[in-house]
Order: sequence, then C-alpha cells, then structure tokens
Amino acid sequence: MNELQKATPVAAAGTPTVSTLQRMKEIASVIEAGSLSNDVRRISRAVRLTIALRGHLIPQDVSMFLSFALPASSDAYSCLSALLPKKHGMVVDVTASESQNSIKHGLPEIEIYCYLLVLIVFIDQKKYDQAKACANASIARLKNLNSGTVDVLASRLYIYYSYVYELTNTLAEIRGNLLGLYRTATLHRDELGQETLLNLLLHNYLHYNLYDQAEKLRSKAPRFEAQSNQQFCRYLFYLGKIRTIQLKYTDAKESLFHAAQKAPTSALGFRIQCNKWAIMVRLLLGEIPERTVFVQQGMKNALTPYFELTNTVRVGDLEMFRSVADKFETTFRADRTYNLLVRLRHNVIRSGLRNISISYSRISLSDVAKKLRLDSMDPVADAESIVAKATRDGAIDATIDHANGWMVSRRRADVYSTNEPQLEFKSRIAYCLNMHNEAIKAMRFHPNSHKDRVEKLHDRHQQEEQDKRMAEEDDGDF
Amino acid sequence: MCSGPKERQENQGATMDSELEKVTCKFAWFNFACARDELDDSVALLAELKVLLTKFGSLPPSFKKTPNAVAELKLARTIYEHAVILSVKIKDQEAFERNFSQLKAFYMDTCGMIPPSPDEYPIRGLYLLKLLADNKIADFHTELELLPLEALNHPCIKYVVELEQSFMEGAYNQWINAREAIPHDTYVYFMDHLADTVRYEIADCTGQAYDYLPVKDAKKMLMFTSDKEFLEYITEEQHEWEIKNCSVLFHMAKPNNHLDLHPFKLMNQAFNYAWELEQIM
Repeated sequence: MNELQKATPVAAAGTPTVSTLQRMKEIASVIEAGSLSNDVRRISRAVRLTIALRGHLIPQDVSMFLSFALPASSDAYSCLSALLPKKHGMVVDVTASESQNSIKHGLPEIEIYCYLLVLIVFIDQKKYDQAKACANASIARLKNLNSGTVDVLASRLYIYYSYVYELTNTLAEIRGNLLGLYRTATLHRDELGQETLLNLLLHNYLHYNLYDQAEKLRSKAPRFEAQSNQQFCRYLFYLGKIRTIQLKYTDAKESLFHAAQKAPTSALGFRIQCNKWAIMVRLLLGEIPERTVFVQQGMKNALTPYFELTNTVRVGDLEMFRSVADKFETTFRADRTYNLLVRLRHNVIRSGLRNISISYSRISLSDVAKKLRLDSMDPVADAESIVAKATRDGAIDATIDHANGWMVSRRRADVYSTNEPQLEFKSRIAYCLNMHNEAIKAMRFHPNSHKDRVEKLHDRHQQEEQDKRMAEEDDGDF
Repeated sequence: MCSGPKERQENQGATMDSELEKVTCKFAWFNFACARDELDDSVALLAELKVLLTKFGSLPPSFKKTPNAVAELKLARTIYEHAVILSVKIKDQEAFERNFSQLKAFYMDTCGMIPPSPDEYPIRGLYLLKLLADNKIADFHTELELLPLEALNHPCIKYVVELEQSFMEGAYNQWINAREAIPHDTYVYFMDHLADTVRYEIADCTGQAYDYLPVKDAKKMLMFTSDKEFLEYITEEQHEWEIKNCSVLFHMAKPNNHLDLHPFKLMNQAFNYAWELEQIM
C-alpha cells in the first residue's frame, strides 16, 4: 500500500525518499520556531517549502499530519477532519513520530497552516464544495487572530479563498467579505494583508468589468512600500488595465511594462497576459512593437494573434484588419481585449493615411478613400474629415484643397533638426536611471554584515600597525 | 390589545400591499400627466412617488427579501425609467444623471430577481450618448465595458457605438447621417447637444487643414442651415477667420517652430543628469 511506503521513517539526510509526512512535520517545526521567535522570514520559508511540496500532497497524509499537529479537542481539528476523507485502516506512524520533536499544541500559526494545507489539497483535487467550506471556516477563525507571523499565512489563505470562489464562478459573493477583511487588515496595520486583499478586490472588480468601482477603490486605498514583489506586480498589472480602459495610455504602458519586467521568469502565464495588454496599449498609442517582443521564450503561440494584428496596424489596411479581427475573435474576447481592438480601427486608418501622406505629395481625396478602403455612404467626405482631423492631431502634415478635391502634403523638415531625438534620448535616460535607482534600493544587506566588516577593518588596522612596528624595528636594526 | 405574531405579520403584509397599491395608483396618475405633456404636474408627482418608494425595503442597496419583492422591484424600476425620460423632456441634465445612476443599480444588481426591462438598452444607449455629447470619452468606454455581449447588437447601442467610432476617426460628417436615423425619440435632445461638440471639433480641424474654403462649403461642413447663423458663429467664436470674396480665410496658427529651445527646461535637465551622475560616483 502506498501509505506504508510513505510511512517509512527518515534514515539519513541523504535518503532520496523522504516521506511527505516527514516533510510536513519539518515545515511545522519551522513554523513553530518562527512563531516563537517572531521571525516572519521563517514563516515565509515554510510557506515556500509547502508550495514546493504541493504536488505530492494527498488527503491521507494531510489527515495524519492533522492528528499530529492539532490537539484532538480543538475546533479546527474537528472541523477539518470532518471534511477530509477517512482513511481505511489507519497505520499509526509510531516510529516516525518518535524521532521527531513534539510540536507545541495550540499555536495559532499551526492551526492556520493546517487550514491552508487542507484548502490546497481540496483545490488540487477539484473538490470545490469542501474547499469552500474549509475556506469559510478559516476566514472565521482568522477574525480573532492578530499577529505578524499569522499574517503571512493569512494572506496566502485569502488568495486561495478568492481562488476557490473564482473557480466556482461565484466571485461576487465574497466581495463584501473581502472588503471587511481589508478593513480589519488596515486597522491591524497588516501591510502584507492589505496589499494582498487590495489586489484580490481589484481582481474581483475587474473580473466583472467594474472598472469604475475598481478605480474608486484603488485611488482611495493607502499606498506604501511594497512588501511582496509578486503582489506589487499584480497591482501594477491591474493598474495598467484600469488606465487602458480610461484611455490613459502612457500611464498604462509604464505600469504594464514594469509588471512584465518585475515578474519572475517562472510566472509565464502572467507575463503573457501583461505582454498582450502592453502590445495593445502600444498599438493604441501609435507605436509598433518590435518583433523581439513576440518571439520571447514560451510566448510565441500565445502572441500570434497579436503579431498579425500588429502587422495590419503597421500596414494600415482596413480589410486586413477586419479579417484578422474576425479570425481571432474568440481569443481576443477571452483576453477581454476585444473592445481595445475595436478602438484600434482608427489607428489603422491613421497609419494608412500616414503612409499615403509620405509617399504622395499630392493625391485626390477619392483615391485616398479608395486606398484606405473606407466603406461608408460617402467615402470622399469621410476621407476629407479624416484628413482634417489627422492634420489637427499632428499625425500628418498636409493641406486640403477643397475646390480641386485633393490633399497636398508638406514636406517634413529633417528630423534631426527638431527636438525629437532629444526627447527620445531623455525618455531612455530616465528609464535607465530609474532602473539603476530601483536596483540599489532593492539590494538588501544582511543586518549583521556591517559588524563583520567593522571587525575585519579592526583586524586589518591591527595588522597594519604590527607591520609598521616591525618595519620600524627593522629600520632601527638597520 | 395583544395581537399575536401571526396577526401582526398579516397586518404588516396588508400594509405593504396597500403601500404597493398606493404607489401603483399614483404611478398611473403620473403616466397620465406625462402623456398629456403636463410637465410641472409630472415633476411634482414624481417627487411624491420617490418619497413613497423609500418605504419599500426590497430596493437596492438593502435588497431585503419581502414577500412583494419582485413586484416592488419591477415597479420601482419602471418609475425610475420614466423619471429618466421625463428629465430628458424637461431638459434637466443633472436630474437625468441622478435618476440614471439610481436606475443603474437596478440594471446591474437585480439580474436574477426580475426579468429584464425592454427599455433597458435604449436608456443605456441614451446615457452613452450623453457621455459622448459631453465629450467624456473615458467614461464612455468604462460604461461600454459594463455592457454584456448581446447588448452591442441592439440597434440603440450599436447606433451610439458606431457614432463614437466615426468621431474617433474624424468622420464628423457622419453626424448628419446619424441625425436622420435616430433610433428612439428621446435621443433628439442629446443629438442636438452633440452637434455643438461636433461643431467645435470640425471648426478646429478645418481651421488647421484648409487655407480657405468657399462660404457655401464651410457652412455645410459646420452644419449650419442658414447664412445668418454661420456669420454669427464666426463673429462670436472664430475671431481669426475672415470672410473675403465669398470665401472664408482661415489664418492658421503659425507652424510649430521646431527649433523651439526652452532654455530653462534644458538647464533643468542638465542639472538633473549631473546630480544623478554624482550620486552614482
């Protein structure tokens, strides 16, 4: 039986098959140590170890762990073991528990950790109803707790709580709860919790396209130094999305770029989404993203529709644009970028017009309408208005001769004699400086390292003095 | 007098039913007044109706589950829809916004509880048109995101969305075609309001794109029907335009001096760079 195999005790550190249960017990002892010494970093380490263990968790192991970690009389134990499936013929893991230190029962962190474990197991096994019950119970339990070490586990719990509801398509139900939790976290000055909950709330609103409410929340929420890089990336992504819908494309581009860069390389799905939105925003701003953006590792297939879209915008052909939009409609709708796509139509026309204006010094408006493939009742009048607006917006430099019905392009002055190169350089320099400053801020020195340095310095001084004295003595002898 | 709980409940039910009846009755009066275009009476009746509606517990945001909840929600929604249409008739934009924001709560949050209203999409299209007329394009798009997929096929919504698209591209002349094909009577007011916004844009564009235009064509482009209005417009709004020999001369703004140096900006930038470099050293 699997369980017997997994229940073999740990022989030596070098054994390749350390049972899952052993690992869980080790993690529990790390949590215990962390909570006793109030060291948040140990708890985070424990969480990371758990996530690494995630693929191997099965309900039977978890229920054995529960009986080990929680006192049988606690509410948590009764609640959780009621949810877990009962084992057939439980093998008491006597040998293993002897070699392990006993855990202090009653630590709140251990309880919350157990809730977290059970929730993860249910989600991975797709047992969403039980997962929901577990999540609700854990949130109720969390209401009474308030300590820094619990907060790390609590924020993980919030994430999975929201995830469970998202998987069952009932996100709207928990909005009130999340808002209440956010209030509590703010009152407890739990910054990690605040960050996590704000992101979860924004995710909730954006899931239902409630951009207005999301922006209202975001603008009023207190801002502080980011505690977790991943939460910061998520925040930037949501901010970018909101700004895109509000037509503030420059801000959106910055946020989305930052999010895509700061994200860890393993978060491929997230980076793909960031890139998709970043490409759309750049197209809406009138820039054409370079080819290298589309061939990044692992993203080529996902970004193919966007690549074809970029091509049509670059060429400026409305027919091609319409056919690409129809061909990939389902992808765009799934990514929720379809509304942005519709806005791109005017960019396609603009770039087509720009090509025409550069290539022709004088061209009749009916030819312009034909080239742009405008389909409406009166394409020539449309073309005339479009050219007028493009001139006003500064996209092209032309005059219209109404009597003869043609458009005359003015030859543009040499680009290098204008301000443009300087502005381009300025933005690049600002970007590099920004990156440099952020890198410096992000460097974290070990808090005791400066003591070592002082000691080394002291040693070096002593050494130097000794050398000097010896040298003087040598001189004296000389 | 001790009335048992059941009797009390029945009494409550009876009072609620009578509340519902009162409101329904008054609403019928309100409809009558609206149909006869007695705007003052309608406004007064509407105010009374709104006060009565506060007695219903089942309305947003409380959404209590009362026995008459469905009927109450439906009635309240219809009242607000008529309020919106009335505010268009009396040309009160603030009242329109207020009533619509209350109505929006019904549209957004009562999806499962009552069947959708037939007037929902025309009224939402009307609000979109108002945003367009006020040139609030960001709000327009945010509002558009809230609409479900099938809404975009509805003629009223499609009308406004296509109008916005053509304006983004610059085909302002589409306004004239759109004016002919209005999908709903209430849209007339905002379309005329939109005409002013559009006219301002067209004037700006033509001023920059043309050196001169014959008066007849300029008049048609700016959508004026009579010469007198056109001349008034020029004298009041566009002081730089001149009329000579039956054509309008646009004295375009001087072309951008590309060699504009902005000395202070450059100095500031140079100082910033020096400071940053010093920090790195």
